[in-house]
Amino acid sequence: MRKFSWTVAMVFIVILAAQLNAAQATELISLFQQPLLMTSAGQNAELQIAGILAKRAGLTYAISKFAAPQELRGVKTLVLVLGASMKGLGAAGLDIAEEKGRVTSLVEACRKNQIPILCLHLGGEARRGQQTDEFVLACLPSAAVAVVVKSGNTDKLFSRICGEKNIPLIEIEKAADCLGPLKKLFKS
Amino acid sequence: MKATPADPHEPFNFRGLQAMVVAAHPLAVEAGLSVLKSGGNAVDAAIAASFSLNAAEPFASGIGGGGFMLLYLAREKRVTAVIYREKAPRLTRPEMFEEKGKDRDEWRSTSGLAVGVPGMLAGWDLARKKYGTRPLAELVEPAVEIAEKGLTVGGNFCAINKEEYERLLKNAGEGSCYLNNGLPYEPGETLRNPDLARTLKRIAEKGVDEFYRGEIASRIVEAVSAKGGIMALDDLAAYEAVEVAPLQGSYRGHPFYTIPPPGSGVYLIELLNIIESWPVESWGHNSPDYIHHLSEALGFVFADKDGYLGDPDFVSVPVTGLLSRPHAARIAGAVRPDRILDSYPPGTFGKRDEAPGNTTHLCVVDKDGNIAALTQSINDFFGSGIVPEGTGFLLNDHMQDFDPRPEKPNSPGPYRRPASSMAPVIMFKDGKPFLSLGSPGGVRIFPSLAQIIVNIINFDMSLDEAIEAPRFFFSSSGDRSQAISVESRIPESVLRRLEEIGHKIAIKDAYDRFFGGAQGILIDRGRGVVYGGADSRRDGTGQGY
Repeated sequence: MRKFSWTVAMVFIVILAAQLNAAQATELISLFQQPLLMTSAGQNAELQIAGILAKRAGLTYAISKFAAPQELRGVKTLVLVLGASMKGLGAAGLDIAEEKGRVTSLVEACRKNQIPILCLHLGGEARRGQQTDEFVLACLPSAAVAVVVKSGNTDKLFSRICGEKNIPLIEIEKAADCLGPLKKLFKS
Repeated sequence: MKATPADPHEPFNFRGLQAMVVAAHPLAVEAGLSVLKSGGNAVDAAIAASFSLNAAEPFASGIGGGGFMLLYLAREKRVTAVIYREKAPRLTRPEMFEEKGKDRDEWRSTSGLAVGVPGMLAGWDLARKKYGTRPLAELVEPAVEIAEKGLTVGGNFCAINKEEYERLLKNAGEGSCYLNNGLPYEPGETLRNPDLARTLKRIAEKGVDEFYRGEIASRIVEAVSAKGGIMALDDLAAYEAVEVAPLQGSYRGHPFYTIPPPGSGVYLIELLNIIESWPVESWGHNSPDYIHHLSEALGFVFADKDGYLGDPDFVSVPVTGLLSRPHAARIAGAVRPDRILDSYPPGTFGKRDEAPGNTTHLCVVDKDGNIAALTQSINDFFGSGIVPEGTGFLLNDHMQDFDPRPEKPNSPGPYRRPASSMAPVIMFKDGKPFLSLGSPGGVRIFPSLAQIIVNIINFDMSLDEAIEAPRFFFSSSGDRSQAISVESRIPESVLRRLEEIGHKIAIKDAYDRFFGGAQGILIDRGRGVVYGGADSRRDGTGQGY
């Protein structure tokens, strides 16, 4: 049943994504299932913001800063909050390569287990840069949907990757606005 | 008057003819300047600016923290220091952090145990009563107005607010006055803090005792206890700031004063003593030779800091030995020009002596030539994240500055003050003060100050050029060689050469607040101008008249 739902969802995304612009992408209602596992790609502080918004959206979620593939058991959606924080990485005792290794192993496990990935970039322009871009390039192509604060996409990196991979992209003005897409994207 | 440049990083010296205030937020500068213009002196203005920073830059300092104040008293032609560093509560034990095991660092930074007894108000009160001219209520007023009316927050505030979101959520919850409807502030939003306004009014009305013995003290103890802390009402009631003699050093014929232990003035002097013997001009600013030699020197200085710095009321700090020229010469001679060293052992000294006599920064110079240089902090951005119920101010996490290992000079202990990296400076030229300088930035403080001083003295930079110039930092951790942290503006060719010598390099942002946010005032007596320099790595600004 889970496999079937996911296949239907993927077909839905692919058909829509080929034609949708950002505004239309907000029509992707109930695409993802719960429970969801939330982790950052880059040990950023926006993971906590995403967690609070998930709580406000009434979702069943768990946050794991160091989520590993075995934590995906029973998880229906992986939420990856993109953005490298040197402070966060330092506090975690991780370098970029180690964090990238952790995240790519998660992405790979999701692919194997057909768990859809929702990518969020909530840090705006301040959370862009070479290190963040490494995580964007590593994760975003595997996303089912991406929600991005507009000021973080002024160079259209997210638009370009999402366009190439037919991934629906939802642009929002500020992090708090992610609440709306979260409510819509998940099946209650 | 020249307009401030559109690019905040472009070096710009604020100018005044008689007086100057530089601080980390324009509203604090305005508060200080208004006090000066109404006849207050440098001490009054510095205290008004400090209160205002609590409202406008609450993540960096405030009445829940502590600090160091260096004063030049023009009429008496002398420098004095006021220390109002936090103290450990009476029930503090040397092993109390170590025994927390893997959770040790969390207890040291975001729990009730992280909170030291705040010294800020006691320090300001001591300085105001002895050297100020204005009533407390007048100095509090601008801060109350900022807290009540609110201020529009900028990118720097929001970035820090976001980085410390977890800390605030943990200890203050979604209802925190430092969050906007439970989420970090976004640029352009308005931060209001009516609780802080009420607290400050209460202090203005009832005096500083209200904080240490009154209702506010009870709120502090309740908040700290609720988060696993050990602070008691008696700890607050017992707190006293102290006035002490400053330390004196000299660099290239310029005598300067800074603060004694538990501050890091001693290590600033030691570092400059080492640099003084080197031909830094011929090496060139931020050349491979320059960065290599200074970094190696920092390795030794940090070994001395780890080995000896503690609260001089409880441990003997070998200040005379650390500041001696032979000690500096030994270190300068140990540095190899073509390779890094394997270890940086601390100095060994004979009989340990007593210190003689005895993280935002702001400086004020008034029309009479008095100078106030204050470095103050609540430690981490947003401190411990704990806000006593209904008070609107953040409590520090300065207990983190203790060495968590028992039996070290800087181990935690009852009533001890943790060692600090703060080191405000007043430097003299031809017998008169010409430079006042300080910075936040944790362990980067004195290395950054030394670089700014060398930029001015050796490389003839203007004050703000010296502040904005690319910085680097190195410290030794035990005997293991760490990476040199550099701002990305340092050329690739320099970094490659440093790597050839054996250094590891960690590249930071072009203007990274990791390296602090220095503020300074330079008095050019020849031209009759007072210059203010404020660091664009944070929201520093200045104003003079």
